[in-house]
Amino acid sequence: MSAIKANSYVDITDVLCPITFVKAKVAIEELEDGQILEIKMNGGEPLNNVPRSLKDEGHKVVQVEDHGNGTYTVFVKKGDL
Amino acid sequence: MKIIVNGNEVVLDKEVVVKELLDKQKVSMQQYVTVQVYDDIISRDDFEKIALKEGDSVEFLYFMGGGAQ
Amino acid sequence: MSFTNDQLERYSRHIILKEVGVKGQKKLLKSKVLIIGTGGLGAPAAMFLAAAGVGTIGLVDSDNVELSNLQRQIIHLTKDVGKPKVVSGQETINEMNPDVNVVTYQEWVSSANIIGIIKDQDYDFIIDGTDNFPAKFLINDACVLTEKPFSHAGIIRFHGQTMTYVPGQGPCYRCIFKNPPPPDAVPTCKQAGVLGVMGGIIGTIQATEAIKYVLGIGELLTGQLLTYDALDMDFRKIKLPLVKDCPVCGESAKIKELIDYEGAVCELKQN
Ligand SMILES: [Zn+2]
Repeated sequence: MSAIKANSYVDITDVLCPITFVKAKVAIEELEDGQILEIKMNGGEPLNNVPRSLKDEGHKVVQVEDHGNGTYTVFVKKGDL
Repeated sequence: MKIIVNGNEVVLDKEVVVKELLDKQKVSMQQYVTVQVYDDIISRDDFEKIALKEGDSVEFLYFMGGGAQ
Repeated sequence: MSFTNDQLERYSRHIILKEVGVKGQKKLLKSKVLIIGTGGLGAPAAMFLAAAGVGTIGLVDSDNVELSNLQRQIIHLTKDVGKPKVVSGQETINEMNPDVNVVTYQEWVSSANIIGIIKDQDYDFIIDGTDNFPAKFLINDACVLTEKPFSHAGIIRFHGQTMTYVPGQGPCYRCIFKNPPPPDAVPTCKQAGVLGVMGGIIGTIQATEAIKYVLGIGELLTGQLLTYDALDMDFRKIKLPLVKDCPVCGESAKIKELIDYEGAVCELKQN
């Protein structure tokens, strides 16, 4: 996998919707525009919804890594709203 | 002629002053009603003087207390 | 200030909203809203502002809870009858949301105390939930003179109305209504009755205006009177003019000091 350097990291594998998105949103709001947030999440509902919700808010999903164990790492670049 | 009173069309057979419109609309305690014609609040002293014209938009605004008790 | 996990969960439905978000929720938690009158209008307004996480809520009321209040003043419970309303309101809010600091003022507003109450916590927004015209004009003039935004409202029978004043952005209550009617000339809801839900609808709109003001989002009811007729289920927004010669907010305003108007006979115990 390519080495994307994230500015911040959040693990949302231990929470359920909607706190998954809320935690990701809180983490990305603390970044500057253009910085990258690395989010560890479960497959299924979180993977389906959290990246889409972040896109709706103007951020950009730059890479998704499948760890092969049901968890994923999603890199999101903060957009200016 | 037709005018609009509180958003509803009212048909009048002749030109009226504000006071006559209040009577016609059966508004009680007229001395405590605020009357607005387009962007003007009509002074209560002028209720008998100001005539309404075709198409005028008139609002009757009422004192409304209530709340705490 | 960062959120605890409990706060993230409590305010999650706000934080998810693009228009609120983390920043907006922090603004709410730092905001201060004064509610004058904890009755039909003030009770629901206070409860929704508390639930929303408005950090400081001031409650002003001199009355005690009466059984006849409970048909609409939903912040008070049957066990609260006889208690000061501000105490009962404070207890309900504390149980609902520990993030909210409630400041109580067990008194009626008058020219002597209202400025002090507004300045006590330097409130950001004021909600007029009073039931009488002397208080409504006093609140208007005090807010104009101290340059504070406020929400006016009134309810009676099946009718309600509300407007929002923001300094420099539209007419004040006195622009439209000039002077209070003489005591007893216009019925208050004690004499005329009121459907219990009216305060819920209009008071909740007042809370909405306070939240929007704090967040800086949307269009406020400045320069507009929203009227509600519950029987016809009809909402109307009436555009209000700016009155240049208003005696309190106009260009050459004559009112520089607050006025204590005489109350109606049945309201005398308040004054
Ligand atoms: Zn004014």
